[in-house]
Amino acid sequence: MRRPSALLAALLPALALAACGHRDLSAVDPAGPQAARIADLTWYLTIVGSAVFVVTVAFLLYALWRGHRRVENYSGEAAERHIHRWIYGAIGVTTLILLVTLIYNFTTGRALANFAEPDALTIRVTGHQWWWQVQYVDPVPSNRFETANEIHVPVGRRVRIEVQAADVIHSFWVPNLHGKVDLIPGYTNTTYFRADRAGVYHGRCAEFCGYQHARMDFLVIADPPAQFAAWYRNQLRSAPPPADSVQQVGQQVFLSTRCAMCHAVRGTDAGSHVGPDLTHLASRGTLAAGTLPNLRGSLGGWVLDPQSIKPGAYMPPNPLKPDELHALLSYLESLK
Amino acid sequence: MSTREQRVVDVSGLPTVVFGPRALLWWGTLGFIVIEGFTLVLAVASYLYLRQNEFNWPPGRTPNPDLLIPTISVVVLLVTMYPMYRADRAAKEFDRAGVIRWLLIGTALSGAACVLRWFDLLALNVRWDTHAYGSAAWMVVVMHATLIVLDFFECLVLAAMFVTGRAQKKHYPDVSDAAGYQYYISLTWLALYLIIYWGPRVL
Amino acid sequence: MSSTEARVPAGLLNPAERELMERTWRPRGGVWGWLIATDHKSIAKRYIITAFVFFLLGGIEAFLIRLQLARPENHLLDPDQYNQIFTMHGTTMMFLFGVPIQLAVALYLVPLMVGTRNVAFPRLNALGYWTYLIGGLFLYVSFFLNTGPDAGWFAYVPLSGPQFGAGKRVDVWAQMVTFTEIAALTAAVEIIVTVLKQRAPGMSLNRIPIYVWSVLVTSFLVLFAMPSVALASTAMLAMDRLVGTHFFNPAEGGDPLLWQHLFWFFGHPEVYIMFLPATGYVSGIIPVFARRKMVGHTALVLSLVATGFVSFGLWVHHMFTTGLPQLGQSFFTGASLMIAIPSGVQIFCWIATLWAGRPKFDTPLLFVIGFIVLFVCGGITGVMIASVPFDQQAHDTYFIVAHLHYVQVGAFVFPLFAAFYYWFPKLTGRMLSERMGKWNFWLFFVGVNVTFFPQHFLGLMGMTRRVYTYLPETGWGPLNLLSTVGAGIIAASVVLFLANVVRSLAAGLPAGNDPWGGHTLEWDTASPPPPYNFAHIPVVDGLYPLWERAPGAPVVTGMAAGKRQVLVTSVMDAEPESIYEHPAPSVWPLIVALAIGVTFIFGIFTPWAFLIGPALMFTPLVMWFWPKRKEPHERSFAEEPA
Repeated sequence: MRRPSALLAALLPALALAACGHRDLSAVDPAGPQAARIADLTWYLTIVGSAVFVVTVAFLLYALWRGHRRVENYSGEAAERHIHRWIYGAIGVTTLILLVTLIYNFTTGRALANFAEPDALTIRVTGHQWWWQVQYVDPVPSNRFETANEIHVPVGRRVRIEVQAADVIHSFWVPNLHGKVDLIPGYTNTTYFRADRAGVYHGRCAEFCGYQHARMDFLVIADPPAQFAAWYRNQLRSAPPPADSVQQVGQQVFLSTRCAMCHAVRGTDAGSHVGPDLTHLASRGTLAAGTLPNLRGSLGGWVLDPQSIKPGAYMPPNPLKPDELHALLSYLESLK
Repeated sequence: MSTREQRVVDVSGLPTVVFGPRALLWWGTLGFIVIEGFTLVLAVASYLYLRQNEFNWPPGRTPNPDLLIPTISVVVLLVTMYPMYRADRAAKEFDRAGVIRWLLIGTALSGAACVLRWFDLLALNVRWDTHAYGSAAWMVVVMHATLIVLDFFECLVLAAMFVTGRAQKKHYPDVSDAAGYQYYISLTWLALYLIIYWGPRVL
Repeated sequence: MSSTEARVPAGLLNPAERELMERTWRPRGGVWGWLIATDHKSIAKRYIITAFVFFLLGGIEAFLIRLQLARPENHLLDPDQYNQIFTMHGTTMMFLFGVPIQLAVALYLVPLMVGTRNVAFPRLNALGYWTYLIGGLFLYVSFFLNTGPDAGWFAYVPLSGPQFGAGKRVDVWAQMVTFTEIAALTAAVEIIVTVLKQRAPGMSLNRIPIYVWSVLVTSFLVLFAMPSVALASTAMLAMDRLVGTHFFNPAEGGDPLLWQHLFWFFGHPEVYIMFLPATGYVSGIIPVFARRKMVGHTALVLSLVATGFVSFGLWVHHMFTTGLPQLGQSFFTGASLMIAIPSGVQIFCWIATLWAGRPKFDTPLLFVIGFIVLFVCGGITGVMIASVPFDQQAHDTYFIVAHLHYVQVGAFVFPLFAAFYYWFPKLTGRMLSERMGKWNFWLFFVGVNVTFFPQHFLGLMGMTRRVYTYLPETGWGPLNLLSTVGAGIIAASVVLFLANVVRSLAAGLPAGNDPWGGHTLEWDTASPPPPYNFAHIPVVDGLYPLWERAPGAPVVTGMAAGKRQVLVTSVMDAEPESIYEHPAPSVWPLIVALAIGVTFIFGIFTPWAFLIGPALMFTPLVMWFWPKRKEPHERSFAEEPA
């Protein structure tokens, strides 16, 4: 259910709406209760803050105008007392506003923290320079799988995200769903959210983590429960064997060149976890942590020369011959 | 042109050599004590902060620090306060011979403390690069070590000034400041010794 | 004596003594004289010019950032260049401009305002400047050699640690911090001791100008905040990188959050170190341009002290997303909100004074008014991000960038420009052009708002900080372009200011002692002041000495004209206590600073530098303090043999 604040929120990006493919990363367009509580607090702070600003500047301008018209200073004991009374009043109003803000803060913070639930769907996210490792954690080992850079969640169910860092500090942020939480080496942090409407929500890394901090996005896709279950079942499956000879050649290229040294594809011998798991690469919406759309052309460009798109990334260039590339791409596109 | 009535405050009788808070250098010394002292406080706070990341302290199989030499070392530092106190008293009486005598004894003891400090480091029974406990313990001990080395050289140079006859009346308050600095160094080491050498047995 | 000559009453300096005083205090000429100078005014002017050069460099870096971000997928800077440039921008503005300039202006004004002749330890003052200069040069030379730091001005570990911070870039940063921190600490000690012990007779605590209070409080902040970053960067981070310690390595019991705690324990007071003197300028300037005494003097002083104390209790508000316990975070929200109260008190007193006075809208007052507007805006966004839930959305986005620039540019740089326009006549003897000043102000005010106001929206639209580029689909392009246009307006305003300065130095109106009708003691002497500041130390009998003084007000006599003497007074009531003789100008502070430079620069390559460097320092330090032989007739009592 769209909250009224979402309509007001449209005013903000209205200044900056780009062409279609527009990504909504608005912190005031909540799609779930956590972000909604924060959005409410945001509106309170913005409105009260703006009012305080307007009133204070009005006083300032009035003071300048009034003072400018004086012929002599307003001074003396009675004058000082008069002025002091106004100042005490202003201090009183300020303190009251701050107190109310503090209380509202505290109740909001407590509500956000109390969103924890033992039955939540648990997803472990590990931040790497500059991609997201995603593991669905389930008490039953055969119900676990790993993917990268894209998270699916069922609408209406609480999700627990446990975040860890593999190298440096990163930060997991999906503005439509909740505030951010840092990934700090040596720590596991936990956050909870729930998506109340289906949709594609964009996430970003929000802590400077090196060369490609700017290109470390991810997707959180909220599906209706049935769709989510289907997606989950599919992700559990290993990759299907190659369907035709071109894909066969492609799989050979994958396994015999550098690809298999870093990337895993369940159902083959490739099991390295240095880079993102590619078992269901073709099911994802983006490539290279939200940098490119998942299209054959972008994938080809990425495989050939990642450094020209994401300089500094740890994936080396792969000078493949055109027919090798063509076969490889066909194979990768089969990894749905 | 008439003479203007000009009131004056005549300060020509004021002293130019003063001790304690009346002297600017006393305040300067206090300033540095505050800076260095607070840095030590933060170093200890960091040491204690890191404690919470470990089950045991020292972690792993690192043994507790030795106590023999560190205890001797802290006693030497505490004892050094006495000759410096006597030097301070002599300085306030402008007693050159007394200052020389007690300053030399203080300098010698301060030098001994510097030598012992090397053994204090060895008594930690851990290297600085073994783990965070080792790093933090070394940091605290080395930081304080720089202070006693500084103090040793300060006393040495002051003593040299007096022995060679180059010292002037204005250097008597410097002897007092050196004594004050010595109290600070010795007492802070007592606290740090307890935290670094006894702490692991208690934390 | 003929009746047409003014008869000199007994005690005041006669012409021969005046001449002796001029000779005693006159600085040595030439390059050598410049290298050995210990006059607080020369040293402060060097500091100010050096810091302003760093301001310009930091501004150029900011402009490059804005050019790169003006369009999505821009290719002006590659990620490595961008990361170095934004790191240099923050590092330059915070360490090489922000703190040094505030302390520098204080080093210039404080002795004049409290009525003394120099700061407490003139040679130490020189050491501070040289150390700062070496640190800044070291950073920039490294930057131009492609070894500039690239991990942000805050250098979070593990990105800045040995494993992920390749090369010597972060080491350069860590040691630059050491240099600037030494300089700041020496300046702070100078200010504290000068203010406590060298005030003119009669300047009891309740007669200390508010600006002097502001830098006194600031100096205490420096004393307690700088050690934290020095410990973290020099003792811990540099050692992790150089000799294999594990302070921040979680695999061996270390903790990346320890860095954040230590850094922000410094980092938060750091911004108040820049802000409090700015409020001091405002409290000094408003009475002059409202032509009325300040409302609420005691409240303003208490606000400064309260802000100083509370500023040490806020640091965790930079760490609200790290997963610390909620209850603990709430405490820091409370403190962060609470600090708005003393700031509010200051604003109310300023507005009340303007209301009750007769404002004269010269350039200094315009900058003050601009400051109040920008500071209220920045303060309000500050209250917003002090709120943990909101901060969890806004942290590390352009909302924070907007906030920090409103408070840094608005609440620190605007008062600084007000101070420039106000005190430039005192430093140089010339007035800045009022017409260019007004243009300067309006361009700057408009430019700041056009640059930074859109960034609030960018933050709430999801634009994170420290990104070298962004995709067009995000829709951030238009607001970024607008922000870049604003940066251009700011650049124009700064160029205009430089033009104003150059023109005024050459051909500005002569200022005279007191062009503005000021109330503090610096306006009671020539512009620029003679090396000894005052021929006779004044005696103060009120809070507004120049406004309240009766003719024939007393002055101090009895100080020797042939010695560099300053009067030492008591802490509370400024009763004369003793006379202190300053040493002569000396080259040893420069040599010691060079030895410090050797220690810390070579210290990034080998730990042995920490033995060799101090050994190099030993001799110059001894020479600094070693007494000169003097003939019996040249000696004062203090210089008699012991």
